[in-house]
Amino acid sequence: MTRDRKVGLGAMALLLLALASYPYLGTSGYQVSIASTVLIAAILASTVNFLAADGGMASLGHGAIAGAAAYGAGWASLQGHSMATQIALAMVVGILVTTVYGVLSMRTNGIYFLMVTLALGMVVFGLAYRLSSVTRGENGITGIERPEVLAEPWAFYLFLVGCFAVTTAALWVVSRSPFGATLRGIRDSESRMRSLGYYVPAYKLGAFMISGTIASLAGLLAVWHTHFVSPSATELGRSVLLIVMVLLGGLGTTLGPLVGAAIVILVENVVSNSVERWPTVLGLIFILTILFARAGLVGSAAKVLRRRRRGTDAGEPDTAEPAGLTTTTTIP
Amino acid sequence: MLTLPRWSAALSLGVVAALALTACAPASSEDPTEPPAETAGASDDETGDEAPAQAEGTLKVGYISPITGNFAVAGQEMVDGWNLYWEINGNEVNGVTVETIVEDDAGNPEISLTKARKLVESDQVDVVVGPLLANTALAVAEYTSSVGVPNLHPVAAADDLTQRAANDFTVRSGSMSGSQANYPGGVWAADQGHETAVTLCPDYAFGWESCAGFKQGFEQNGGEVTAQFWYPNGTSDFSTYVSQLQSAGADIAYVATAGGAPGPDFMRSFLGLGLKDTQPLLMNCCSMDQATLRAMGTEVLGIHSVSNWAEGRDAPEVAEFNAAYAERYDGKIPSLNVAGGYVTASQVAQVLAENGLVTGDELVAAISATTFEDSILGKTVFDEYNNPVSPVYIREVQEVDGQLLNVPIETFDAVDQWLGMDPEEAMARPNYSQQFQG
Repeated sequence: MTRDRKVGLGAMALLLLALASYPYLGTSGYQVSIASTVLIAAILASTVNFLAADGGMASLGHGAIAGAAAYGAGWASLQGHSMATQIALAMVVGILVTTVYGVLSMRTNGIYFLMVTLALGMVVFGLAYRLSSVTRGENGITGIERPEVLAEPWAFYLFLVGCFAVTTAALWVVSRSPFGATLRGIRDSESRMRSLGYYVPAYKLGAFMISGTIASLAGLLAVWHTHFVSPSATELGRSVLLIVMVLLGGLGTTLGPLVGAAIVILVENVVSNSVERWPTVLGLIFILTILFARAGLVGSAAKVLRRRRRGTDAGEPDTAEPAGLTTTTTIP
Repeated sequence: MLTLPRWSAALSLGVVAALALTACAPASSEDPTEPPAETAGASDDETGDEAPAQAEGTLKVGYISPITGNFAVAGQEMVDGWNLYWEINGNEVNGVTVETIVEDDAGNPEISLTKARKLVESDQVDVVVGPLLANTALAVAEYTSSVGVPNLHPVAAADDLTQRAANDFTVRSGSMSGSQANYPGGVWAADQGHETAVTLCPDYAFGWESCAGFKQGFEQNGGEVTAQFWYPNGTSDFSTYVSQLQSAGADIAYVATAGGAPGPDFMRSFLGLGLKDTQPLLMNCCSMDQATLRAMGTEVLGIHSVSNWAEGRDAPEVAEFNAAYAERYDGKIPSLNVAGGYVTASQVAQVLAENGLVTGDELVAAISATTFEDSILGKTVFDEYNNPVSPVYIREVQEVDGQLLNVPIETFDAVDQWLGMDPEEAMARPNYSQQFQG
């Protein structure tokens, strides 16, 4: 296992190196900006991925959490507060909203969890849209600056690469920890975990808080990227796209969110330059993935490789099989 | 021992996939390697200013509009209006070729921003036109002004675009601010002898601004708005709102929508309750546009509305525009969105004809300094904040040669965006909302 882990870490380091060297390969500001958008979306998608894969909780509200954090920064910037206050307020607002989500949803699962997060997402959207004295309504808040050190697009991009590495590593560690194992236990059978003495809602709340905190960070990064926040950042559509990203990349895979985010963002922003019916393209990619690569692109590619190797190796059982959104409980 | 675990294989594959995908971005946007040559040509010709009689070069225009998504119809119309002008008049003015790249933003401000970046940094356009929605427009205007590229707005109505967020690179070319276009409606209603009014507007920025414009026009002239109702976007059944209007019992009802289905939906409820003959009604631009007229037919004959565009105005430029549009689009009559795109194109053309190739803030200054006598919107000049000062029409639906048209019955000339206040005074107040209507 040690050798495998080394290879994995090597691959990860290689990816980070590739990502970090991207601005130096003669890319234009526009291309760096697209890559930044992909990274931010990937961070946000990885929080949804963590919650859905390990906790079995598919959230339709993470776009709204990120949006709420963005509004925190935006409001502070509008009031002329310092950068430190803006950051603090963004995180406080994001975490506050996450807490509300978490407390209201920790006793639910499956479709009920989905509906609770959906409803709360709509509440955040409604507030952003209608509470114009704070959010300026549909017009949104413009002119939100990022810290001076990150003013250069490439500096900000490298910072994002760092953020992506740190958050992905953090989620990976949490997922492999006893806490993560407990979460998967709850996902597979809540009643069994309860009878084993675990206080299930606390674990669910904990998972939601971890996921929501990183989502708030993503929201802050997004507003630093666009200098702008409007109700559309909290729209249901954004949250749905996050789920699409996760499923495209592969639920429960470490790099799935990055791949999924890259596909969605590139279709939205680059393919749409030349193809007028780009939403159809996105839909087709999604349908084909669901039909022919149910474990997502990363997950399915890994499966294919594994099957090929099975010839030389007596099929070693997998410890962290990517699970579907609706997990089947199999008691051996 | 030779085997790797599943997840490391996934990682390495991820590397390949991510690299391939990131490689896609440069590859597909590297094609604009040809444009720099043209742009170089264009900048050479900036020196051609001294000889405005015959400038040469290319004005590259990036046009952002929601061609897909919920606002696809309005977005496409905005593009059609722009293209129509160049189709009729040719895209070469005074030796300058106008080249347009259209980009779709699906009404999402994040995509609008990426598209604006792409147009400016990758395609190196000289001017960005659009987008359509208030939030997308404000986001793009902020970006373009930060990089010194002019931004023209054919349709966006957000007050702030030419007020609190005004700058030297942003012009509202083809539309009016939300409150500006409806203020004369209030003045007119008061002049008609109505003493009380009730309003119904969509519950978001555009609705707040429209209602605030009407209310201030009405109350500054002695009227009183007794009740204001707000409906959420997406309302399709207006019967409860119509009964509220009815029970408010005011002399006149003012109703605004942002275009699309709510206009006809409201009219069906209003007519269904038989209020047409008993309750005087004034609609805004977009609730009584051609889409509503086509949907409702002769039932809406005689309904009044207020807008800066009147397709039934008796002027040769309007007739020419209507005919040209009808010829290309199945005999349809152009809406405010088409007019906005067309007007923007005509302003660019006139400025190019008079000044040769101008770019940057000079283009904005040139537009702002020009008087557009024969605009299809009526005589237009610009204020210091690059917002049009132009006529607003009180229109009545009439049948002209078998077609239903909004014919102006009264014209308010040279309406500015300040609603009878000083600019400083107006901008010191909070943005309009349900709570603050001025």
